Amino acid sequence: MVNFWVRRSEGIEREELLRLIDQDIAGLVKEKRVATKNFVVYVVDRDKVVDVVKKLLEYEYTRLSVIAGNDERFFRRDFSLTYIIAFDKQDLYIGIRTYVPPHDLKVKSLAKEVRAAWWHERENRDLYGFEFEGLDDPRKLVLPEYWPENVHPWRKDYPYNKPVADWREGQVDYKPIKEDKIDADVVAFGPYHLVNDEPIHWRLYVKGEVIVDVEHRGFHNWRGIEKIAEGRLTYNQIPFIAERICGICGYTHACAYCQAVESIGRIDIPDRAKYIRTVMLEIERIESHLLWIGIACHILGFDTGFMHSWKIREHIMHLAEVLTGNRKTYGMNLVGGVRRDILGDRLRKAFDYLRFMRAEYRELYNMLISNTIIAKRTRDVGILPRDKAISYGVVGPVARAAGLRIDVRKDHPYAAYKELDFRVPVYSESDVLARTLVRLDEVFESFDIIEQALDRLPRGPILADVGEIPPNSEGVGYVEAPRGEDVHYVRTGLYNKVQRWRVRAPSYANVPSVKEMLIGYRIADAPIIYASVDPCLACTERCIVVKAVDNGRTYSWNQLVELSRKISRRMGL
Amino acid sequence: MSYEIPHRWIVTFRYPLEPLPPPKELRGRPIIDPNLCIGCGACVRACPPNAITEEIDISKGIKVVKIFYGRCIFCGRCWEVCPEGAIRLSNEFELATPNKDDLIQYVVLPLHKCVNCGKPTEFTERQVVRVLTMIQELPIERREELRSKILLCRECKASFLSKPMELRGSEVYEKVKA
Repeated sequence: MVNFWVRRSEGIEREELLRLIDQDIAGLVKEKRVATKNFVVYVVDRDKVVDVVKKLLEYEYTRLSVIAGNDERFFRRDFSLTYIIAFDKQDLYIGIRTYVPPHDLKVKSLAKEVRAAWWHERENRDLYGFEFEGLDDPRKLVLPEYWPENVHPWRKDYPYNKPVADWREGQVDYKPIKEDKIDADVVAFGPYHLVNDEPIHWRLYVKGEVIVDVEHRGFHNWRGIEKIAEGRLTYNQIPFIAERICGICGYTHACAYCQAVESIGRIDIPDRAKYIRTVMLEIERIESHLLWIGIACHILGFDTGFMHSWKIREHIMHLAEVLTGNRKTYGMNLVGGVRRDILGDRLRKAFDYLRFMRAEYRELYNMLISNTIIAKRTRDVGILPRDKAISYGVVGPVARAAGLRIDVRKDHPYAAYKELDFRVPVYSESDVLARTLVRLDEVFESFDIIEQALDRLPRGPILADVGEIPPNSEGVGYVEAPRGEDVHYVRTGLYNKVQRWRVRAPSYANVPSVKEMLIGYRIADAPIIYASVDPCLACTERCIVVKAVDNGRTYSWNQLVELSRKISRRMGL
Repeated sequence: MSYEIPHRWIVTFRYPLEPLPPPKELRGRPIIDPNLCIGCGACVRACPPNAITEEIDISKGIKVVKIFYGRCIFCGRCWEVCPEGAIRLSNEFELATPNKDDLIQYVVLPLHKCVNCGKPTEFTERQVVRVLTMIQELPIERREELRSKILLCRECKASFLSKPMELRGSEVYEKVKA
């Protein structure tokens, strides 16, 4: 068993904590590497790695953030697994790395005790072929069912542009694991559902109206965006594809990637660039939260709220267009700074806009919190207990609604957040209402942050000189996205390219916990419970959305599959 | 109805029926000015989605720079890196078309012909002129040395490395001018 958060760590400095950790795992560590100023990697044996991770998770305010697999056969003939643990009160990320020889890829599973490891282990099994002993979930996570068992696309000997269609012989359907074992009715919620904007399949097992068990199958639009970047893009091209991971919080991905590379290259970005990044990140947060508020109102049947919220959102998108040149996908970031300055009358225009929108938003806020229907539909619904929240490692508004005071902006200050004054709203009820209130409050804070940052905008250049990025180094970039902590693990390779880029979007941490929120509540509440984590599947699945042209005909499933394969072949994918 | 000033009550526009001018900051369709482009390929290297490509046709003696807006992500990197200022970001955003060929802009540039053997080289005439103007600032010995090499194709350059120069730089320059 893991004793989560039993050891106090608040108030301990980073050096002191590192000394404590060194004592704790003294006999188990083979090597210690300080990768960047707040990313430390310990190399341990493969049978000890689970114990070490469990030991570290005993400290307060720790989370298992990422498990990043890597194919290092080119360097040292081994595969590696890096368990990255975030220490939120010390501004520290610790990587526990173990090397696994390619002929014997067995590692002990952690998923039973630490639920945060659940998806990560399944993903590493799919993509690298690790075998996790004790992982009781035989299903694939990211790859489709028909994918051959012994083909692992993330290995370096698998080319990024190798077609998959040839592999497919005979359709294999998804097999639910619990359907035979449970005596309950099945309600399929998704992949296409009225309240889902993106495909996800929740299999709800119900008795009467009450949900007794839940099964998840997602990643329908997983496309392997990281492999494209590893294969053929240079450092300064990746921010643009990173921005296209998600249509709502894309800028956070570009920022997180750039910060990771900047931490590797020891690049100090100019102050003015830091402030501009902060402004854009907060504009994106307002935009995302207003979108979520609108969708949530729509799900609850309160379409007036939806219209009002999206009306205000339209203004902030216009402000973003004035400042960056585009409504979304700002394209502002490069490694070393930003590309466009905020000059001249745009500053004045931004203040005008913000004053206008704050008044509009206050009206909307008052309307929403005085609405009894919203309160009645959301109070005491979808409760995520605190211990479950810790085990799942939830982040962002979901964690803050569960009483966990974690916010990357405060805990791991990046950009200009250290110099700005803002509040982090925390609620302890952990129901849908609490999550709604966290987001509603955060919008006001974001208005404050933007105004402060624009007011204090320092003079100077906006892009630093970037020398050579050292090869074979690693770093972590982190940003508080609207949905929570967004972590990018980057390992640099040769020829100005990244060797490994792992994107852990906030929804990747939050969506597994929906399972715990749904059990015990009614089917009618399922949509709003699921929506309350603000699921962003584009981020989670690192896809690029491609819209097909409809010419008014109806296709069967097999025809659609055939058609899409034909198109893929023609495009040379 | 202007899009510029937020209005308290009126928030929708009769957009397709009346024009909706975007703000002047919009990064719209990038347009290559064929009169200024020298075909250096800086935009080709910088373009993240490979929307700009270049092709050299030695037999025809041309270089084609092609920008395909179907792949373009409108990031404006090409505009930033262009040394000649030949790429301009326009305000156009309505690119929908029934014909995919409407989304391609070609810039055809003649290739420089080697002054010694007369075969087309891999670089354009304008690139040569640009380099010749660039080397004006160098010290004279260096300038003359470079000038004699710039105008030759790869094979001729290689053969001249082993032999003493047949042509003086200034003669070559006169030849090109004529």
